[in-house]
Amino acid sequence: MKESFGRAVLYRIISSLLILFFLISFLFVLLRISPGGPEQKFISPQLKPELIEKVRESFNLDKPITEQYSAFLLNSIRGNFGISYNYREPVFDVIMEYLPFTLIFALIVVIVQLLLSFWLSFISISRLNSRADRYISKFTLLLYSIPTFVAGVFLIYIFSEKLNVFPSSGLKSIQHSDMDSAARFWDYIEHLILPVITLCLGGIAVYYRYLRDNLEEIYTKPFILNLRAAGVNEKEITLRHVIPNAVNPLITVTGIDLGLLLSGALITEVIFGLPGMGRLTVTAILTRDYPLVLGCTFTAGIFIIITNLAADIVKARIDKRLIKGISG
Amino acid sequence: MKFRIKNRHFILFALLLLIVLRFSRLSEIAVLFYSFIRSLFDRHVDTLSALNFSLTDNFFSLIFLTVLVVFLFFGKRGKPVLDKAADFTSIVIIVLFIFFIFAPFAATTEPDFQNNIGVTKLLPPFSEVKMIHPVYSNYATDLYSVESRLLNDNSIYIDSIRKAENGYYYFQKGIKTRAEINKIEFKDGLPLMGRRIFILGTDEYGRDVFSRLVYGTRISMIVGLGAVIVSFLLGISFGFLSGYSGWFIDTVLNRFTDMFLSIPVIFLIILILTFFGNSIFTIIFILGFSGWMSLFKIVRSEVISIKQKDFFIAASRIGLSNRKLLTREILPVIIAPVIVNLIFQYGNVILAEAALSYLGLGTGLNYPSWGAMIEAGQEYLSQAWWMIFFPGLTLVLTLFTANNLGRELNLYYNPGISE
Repeated sequence: MKESFGRAVLYRIISSLLILFFLISFLFVLLRISPGGPEQKFISPQLKPELIEKVRESFNLDKPITEQYSAFLLNSIRGNFGISYNYREPVFDVIMEYLPFTLIFALIVVIVQLLLSFWLSFISISRLNSRADRYISKFTLLLYSIPTFVAGVFLIYIFSEKLNVFPSSGLKSIQHSDMDSAARFWDYIEHLILPVITLCLGGIAVYYRYLRDNLEEIYTKPFILNLRAAGVNEKEITLRHVIPNAVNPLITVTGIDLGLLLSGALITEVIFGLPGMGRLTVTAILTRDYPLVLGCTFTAGIFIIITNLAADIVKARIDKRLIKGISG
Repeated sequence: MKFRIKNRHFILFALLLLIVLRFSRLSEIAVLFYSFIRSLFDRHVDTLSALNFSLTDNFFSLIFLTVLVVFLFFGKRGKPVLDKAADFTSIVIIVLFIFFIFAPFAATTEPDFQNNIGVTKLLPPFSEVKMIHPVYSNYATDLYSVESRLLNDNSIYIDSIRKAENGYYYFQKGIKTRAEINKIEFKDGLPLMGRRIFILGTDEYGRDVFSRLVYGTRISMIVGLGAVIVSFLLGISFGFLSGYSGWFIDTVLNRFTDMFLSIPVIFLIILILTFFGNSIFTIIFILGFSGWMSLFKIVRSEVISIKQKDFFIAASRIGLSNRKLLTREILPVIIAPVIVNLIFQYGNVILAEAALSYLGLGTGLNYPSWGAMIEAGQEYLSQAWWMIFFPGLTLVLTLFTANNLGRELNLYYNPGISE
């Protein structure tokens, strides 16, 4: 059993990396064949055309595309993604500046989403088909329909403009460097509350829907009735028999969601001016910083692979029959 | 039997409300239409060259309004959709469709109309502004002058007006301007004063938020429907190809789809839009292209199971072409999950379009878009909440309706699922 588990994980990692390789290659070609180039940012049209050639040469863009591609592949295997055109630093260092924030932010958001949706769906399930259940159902559908940017702007309007309790943008306040460590920590929390709420709203609705439907399905199964008849107490039924059977799709969704969040919550970051991977990627795209675009995509791809794999492994730990699913 | 408001009644009510409220405008357009038809016989080349988008838009809206009212009054009763009891979902859909088709009549001004910004800038909802009308040079009834009077609204917004010896002075935010007696319209010896109410307020350029919202419906609907059609075509054809062909094509297509499902598509969309330019067609195509994957998965799995059913084997042995197999044998079977998927897809596309407009990668047209309105309003958040609130509310209502409709249809097609 153990051997097949390891083999399934290995197979999965190899096939995912293959997909990632194709994606990066596709992107590489797309970047090179697109009209315009990174030199536009550095050279004004009034200057001599030779200068443009010089800039292209310094970026290694004057060589044929096959040569560029092979050089890129060789360097990436050694872990070197090149030097960012804008930051003039290795791509790896630039990404490392933005990554910690994204990691922490995504984890907080996913945990809050999970807690709230568990709470809501247990309220719902304990009063099945009652008025509260129906209202929560409609309410989550409404939450799901609120776009992130509308929610974010409204939260800023209410809590920053009118009530003035939370700051509206950024990650630190101006006096941040003068504070002691406890005040600094509180400063971070204050700045993160509104973004976390904004990003959570849609996710809560999705998680709730998956969880509630599954919980309902499991609760109506005959074996639960059997357990109740045998006198097992309700808490144990829920914890040991219902939840392990019901969380399967939720884990899949959480894996996908966490992967997407780790690759950058673009709109939330734009609204609140947060230094995350989403904005880094889009800035790289807008300024045609080719190495940084590829680096960001690679990071995002790795995270998506890891989170989806982790979700499948967790599912297989709960239900041994799902080991087969890891390799697919 | 209890009387219930049906969709038909609600549409009729809304259209009649439109006719009553905008009667003067409608009758002017009707006169214009009449003179247009008449001059079509005299000088058809000149007349046709005068036909611009806004004029065509008005004419079509007028014709369609008449036809629709007649049809709803005299058409056959008992249609499945029209004679269903109206609920929240259908009311929102009807209102959006009326905005979409009859935008020139539902909106109070053109979307980009602005005049005397000093007076009209950032007005709160339900504010009223006085206006005077300049005299038009000639009142001939030929097409050009009628058209310019109707479509080029050049009334002057003012704060107040005062009489002087040789004319009138009007005030705009404290700036005094002289209007000569023969330059403005008079009625019973006094200047003809009009009033315009901005129901949902104005934006930073003094443009009417309500009119912009109404015209924004068009962008959102065109992009939504276009992208849904693109993803329908792609999803159906690739799904059929993948499910019906051999192992190799199936594996390749499936892996390809997995690749697209596993990356954050928004970055790919932004990348393609920035590198290859953003126009309405690229937006429709790219949003349609980014949404066909889920449909592909549905169609593929259904085709694989239908492939082994007797009726399908019989149909393919008779020798039906692939196209006929798809449209006659498979589509009718899988239409229910496909429609549900497309409705959810429609909501996603509208959301994506608004988000792209919000990020400044919109359609690049003169038409306003809800996302772009929200983006513009963000700068004036502390002064003008209405600039964001109303577009945001419309967007939320539209998305809520799409999601609700999808869920209701899903329940209708699969009665087994509990509410």
